[in-house]
Amino acid sequence: MSGPLLEVEGLKVEFDTWDGRVRVLDGVSLSVSPGETLGIVGESGCGKSMTALAVMGLVPKPAGHVTGGAIRYRGEDLVKASDGRMRDLRGNRIAMIFQEPMTSLNPVFTVGDQIAETARLHLGLSPAEARKRAVEMLRAVHIPEAERRVAEYPHQFSGGMRQRVMIAMALACEPEVLIADEPTTALDVTVQAQIFDLLEELRAAEGTAIVLITHDMGATAEMADRVVVMYAGRKVEEGPVDAILGNPAHPYTQGLLACRPNLQLGHAAARPQLHEIPGVVPPLHLLGRGCAFADRCPRAMPRCGEAFPPAYDVGESHAAACWLLEEARAA
Amino acid sequence: MVEETGDGRPETKARGLWREAWSVFRRNRAALVGLALLAIIALVVVLGPMAYPVDPFDIVGAPKARPGAEAEAPLGTDYLGRDVLAGLIKGGRPTLLVGFCAALITALIGITIGALGGFYGRWVDGVLGRVTEFFQVLPALLFAMVLITLFAPSLLTVTLAIGIVAWTSMARLTRAEYLRIRELEYVRAARSIGASNARIIWRIILPNAMPPIMVSATLATGSAILFEAGLSFLGLSDPNIMSWGLMIGSNRNYLREAWWAVTFPGLAIFVTVLAISLVGDGLNDAFNPKLRTR
Amino acid sequence: MGFAAWLARRIAYAAGLLAAVAILNFSLMHLAPGDIVQTIVGEMGGASEETIAQLRKSYGLDRSFPEQLGIYLGRVATGDLGTSAYYNQPVLNLILDRVPATVLLVVAALGLAITLGTFLGVMAARFPASWLGAVVTIVALFGFSAPVFWSGLMLLLLFASVFELLPASGMYDVAQGATGIAYALDVAYHLVLPAGTLALIYLALYSRLSRASMLEVLGSDYVRTARAKGLSENKVVFKHALRNAILPVVTVAGLQLSAMLAGAVLVETVFTWPGMGQLAFESILRRDNQLILGILLLSAVLVIVGNLLTDAAYRFIDPRIKTGG
Repeated sequence: MSGPLLEVEGLKVEFDTWDGRVRVLDGVSLSVSPGETLGIVGESGCGKSMTALAVMGLVPKPAGHVTGGAIRYRGEDLVKASDGRMRDLRGNRIAMIFQEPMTSLNPVFTVGDQIAETARLHLGLSPAEARKRAVEMLRAVHIPEAERRVAEYPHQFSGGMRQRVMIAMALACEPEVLIADEPTTALDVTVQAQIFDLLEELRAAEGTAIVLITHDMGATAEMADRVVVMYAGRKVEEGPVDAILGNPAHPYTQGLLACRPNLQLGHAAARPQLHEIPGVVPPLHLLGRGCAFADRCPRAMPRCGEAFPPAYDVGESHAAACWLLEEARAA
Repeated sequence: MVEETGDGRPETKARGLWREAWSVFRRNRAALVGLALLAIIALVVVLGPMAYPVDPFDIVGAPKARPGAEAEAPLGTDYLGRDVLAGLIKGGRPTLLVGFCAALITALIGITIGALGGFYGRWVDGVLGRVTEFFQVLPALLFAMVLITLFAPSLLTVTLAIGIVAWTSMARLTRAEYLRIRELEYVRAARSIGASNARIIWRIILPNAMPPIMVSATLATGSAILFEAGLSFLGLSDPNIMSWGLMIGSNRNYLREAWWAVTFPGLAIFVTVLAISLVGDGLNDAFNPKLRTR
Repeated sequence: MGFAAWLARRIAYAAGLLAAVAILNFSLMHLAPGDIVQTIVGEMGGASEETIAQLRKSYGLDRSFPEQLGIYLGRVATGDLGTSAYYNQPVLNLILDRVPATVLLVVAALGLAITLGTFLGVMAARFPASWLGAVVTIVALFGFSAPVFWSGLMLLLLFASVFELLPASGMYDVAQGATGIAYALDVAYHLVLPAGTLALIYLALYSRLSRASMLEVLGSDYVRTARAKGLSENKVVFKHALRNAILPVVTVAGLQLSAMLAGAVLVETVFTWPGMGQLAFESILRRDNQLILGILLLSAVLVIVGNLLTDAAYRFIDPRIKTGG
C-alpha cells in the first residue's frame, strides 16, 4: 500500500470547562504508514494523549468536541464516521494500550475473558475459539503458563505482566494501527525494555503501524522511525528520528533533549549538570496568540508573543515551527 | 480559582479550604434554600410560641375541625379539639433540641472512637472496631426503645438513647479519614518535630478531617430528628411535651376524619430534615469540588 | 481462604458477638429500676413480704447478678429464651411466629429498593444529560427527609382512603380465609403499601449511591479500555461498569440491615403488620423482659445473618477477595 495508513490533518479539539471553552488541540497533523513507528513526544499536558483519544473517537463527552480537521484511516474520515463505524474499527483495526496497566484492566473479569471479548466482538469467534485465541495471544506476549493464567484475574498479575495482557488484548484482532500511550511509564526500567522489545517484535512480525506516545526521549530514540514533538496542543517539530535527536531545530526539542541524563560513566566532577526547562506548560485557557513556549524559551524574541510561527523546512521531511528559523533563513 | 488572601499572610491549608468551600457553597442554590428554610424554622421555633401563645394541650374548640373552619384554630383541631397550629409551633422545640443534642453526642462518641482507632491502629483499632461492630449489630430503634422505657421517657433519656445507638457511621468515617491523613507529609513533619500524640490527633489531624465529618454531622442531625420523631410517634418520649412526632402518633387513628392533624406535623418534620439534607449536600459539594462534574 | 473456612470463622465470630449482645441486654435489664415481680405485685395491688420473696425466688431474682447472668447465658446457648410473662408462652415460639412476616416485609422492601434504586441510579449515570438525574435527586431527598411512619400514613390516606385501591392494615383478609395461591396473592396485596413505604427510604439511598458509584466507575481506566475495544456503550455500562459499580451498593445494603429493622418496627405499627416489630413494641410497653431480651437477641441474629449474606455476595462479585491480594 502506498501512502500513509493513518493521517491526522489540522485536528482541533476543544473542551468546555468552568473557565469557558478551551482549545486542547490546535491544528495537529501527523501520519503513520504500515510497519512504521511514529513517536509523539512532549511534556504531560501537551495534548499527546488527547490526540490518541481523538483518533480512537474517545474524546471525553459531553465536555470535549472535535471542532475541526480530519482523521483519515485508509482515506476514510473518522471525524465524520458514525458511532457504529467507530466501534467496528476500535479494538479491531485501530487498537490502543494505556499508561496505567494496574487500573486499565477490569478487576472483576479474568484476563482470558477480557482478551476473548475483543476477539468475539470483532472476529465473530465462538466462546471456545475466542478462549483459544486468548491463550495464543498470551503466549505471543510471552506470558508463561498461558493455559493456566488465562483463567486468572488482573490482580494476580504484576504490572509488567498486566501491560503484556493489555498488549495481547489490543493485538487480538491483528490491528493495523496500535496506539501506545506511555505504555511503560508506570513500570520498572527493566520491564520497560522488555515491553519495548515485545512491541518491536510484534511490529516486525505483523507489520503493525505503531504510534508511540511518550515523554521519554530514550524510548523514542530506541523505537521510533519518525518523531512529532508537541507543545501546548500544537505540533512544534516533526522529522526523522535521527534528525530530531541529532539536529533539533526547535528550542523546545533542544530543551527536551538536554533534559536527558547523560549516561557516560566517568569523572563525577566532569559530569554535566542535569538540565531542565524552566517553568511548566501554561494552562491552556491562558494561551495567547503567540508561541506558547515563548515564556520558557531561552531565545524568545518580541515577535514570539505576537503570532504563532508557521512550520519551516529544516531538512528532508524535517520541519519546525519557530521564528528563529525565519531569522536564520533571512540571515 | 484559588482566591488570593490579599494581605499576603500565609494561609493554612485547612483555612484556605474553608474559604474556598464557602465560595462554592454560596453559589449552590439548593443549599442556600436549605439554609434559608432552616433559618425560618429556627425563627418560628424560638420566637413562634411568644407570637402565638396557645397551649398545644388546651382544647380550643370542637374536635376534628377542618382548617379554616374555626377562627381559633387556623389549621384545624385534632381528635380532642386541640389547636394544630399551636402544636406545630410548640412541637418543633423538643424535636429540634433532641435532634441537635443527639447529633452532638453522636459526633462526640463517633469522632473520639474513630480518631483513636484510626490514629493508633493495632490493638486499639481492633478493640474499638469490635465495639463499633457490636453497636452496628444492635437493632438501633428497638434498643433505644428499651433504654427509654427502662429509664423513664424524658427528653434527656431520648437524647442519650439516640446518641448511644447512632454513632457508628460517624466512627467509621472518622477512622477512615484518620487512617488516610496520619500518613500525610504534614503529620509526619509534626511528628518529627516532636508533637505529642494528643496534639497530632486533635490539633493537626482533626481540622483536616473536619470537612467530611461536618457533612456527616449535618446529615446525622437530620437522622436524629427523624429518630426522635419516630420515638415520639410510638409514644416513647415525654408525654407532657408536645412534639411533631407525638402529634402524628396520637392522631393517626383519626387519619380519615382529621387528615390535617397528621399531615401538617409530618410536613414540618419533612421540611426541617429536607433543609438539613440540602445544606449537607451543599457542604459535601463544597468540600469536594472535583465531584461537581461539569 | 476457602469458603468453608471463611464461613466457619465468621460463624464463630458471630457467636461471640451474640454473647456480647446477650450480656449487655441482660445487664441493662438488671440495672434498670423495677423488675417483673414489682410489676406483678403492682397488678395484684400489693402483696406480703413473704409472697414477694417467693415470687422473687421463682423468677431466680434472689441470686447474685453473675449467677443470674450465667444461668441466662446457659439457657440461651441451649436455645431456651425463657417464657413470656404476658403470653405465658415460650419466647422463642412467640418470636418465630412473627419472624416470617418481618422477613417478608424487609426482603420485599429491600428487593424493591435495590432493583429499582440501582436501575434508576445506573440509568441516570448512563444518560447524564437526561431528566433521570433530577428524578434521582428528588427521590433521594424525599426518601432521606420524610419520616417513614408519616409517608406510610400519607400513602395509606391516598391509596386506602381516597382511592380505596389497597388494604389499609393487616397481612391478609381474615374473612376471606383463603389458602394456597389465593392466600399468597392476598398477602402480596396487603404487602404492597407497607413494603412500598419501607422501600421508599432505601430507594433513595440506593439510587443515589449507585449513581455516584456508576459515575465514578464510568470515569475509570478499565472502562476506557472497554470503550477502546469497540464495545457498545450498553455493553460498557451494563457488563463492564455495573459489576464494579454494584460493590459499594452491596456493602451499604449490609450496613443498613439494622436501620431497616428500625424502619420495619415503625411501618409494622402504621399498617398493623403482624411482625416482630409489633411484638417488640407491645412487649416493651408491657415490660415483658424475657420477650424483649429474646427479640433483641434475635434481631441481632437477623442482622448478623444479613451481614453474612452480604459478605458472601461480595465475595461472589469481587474476585479480588476470594483469592486474596
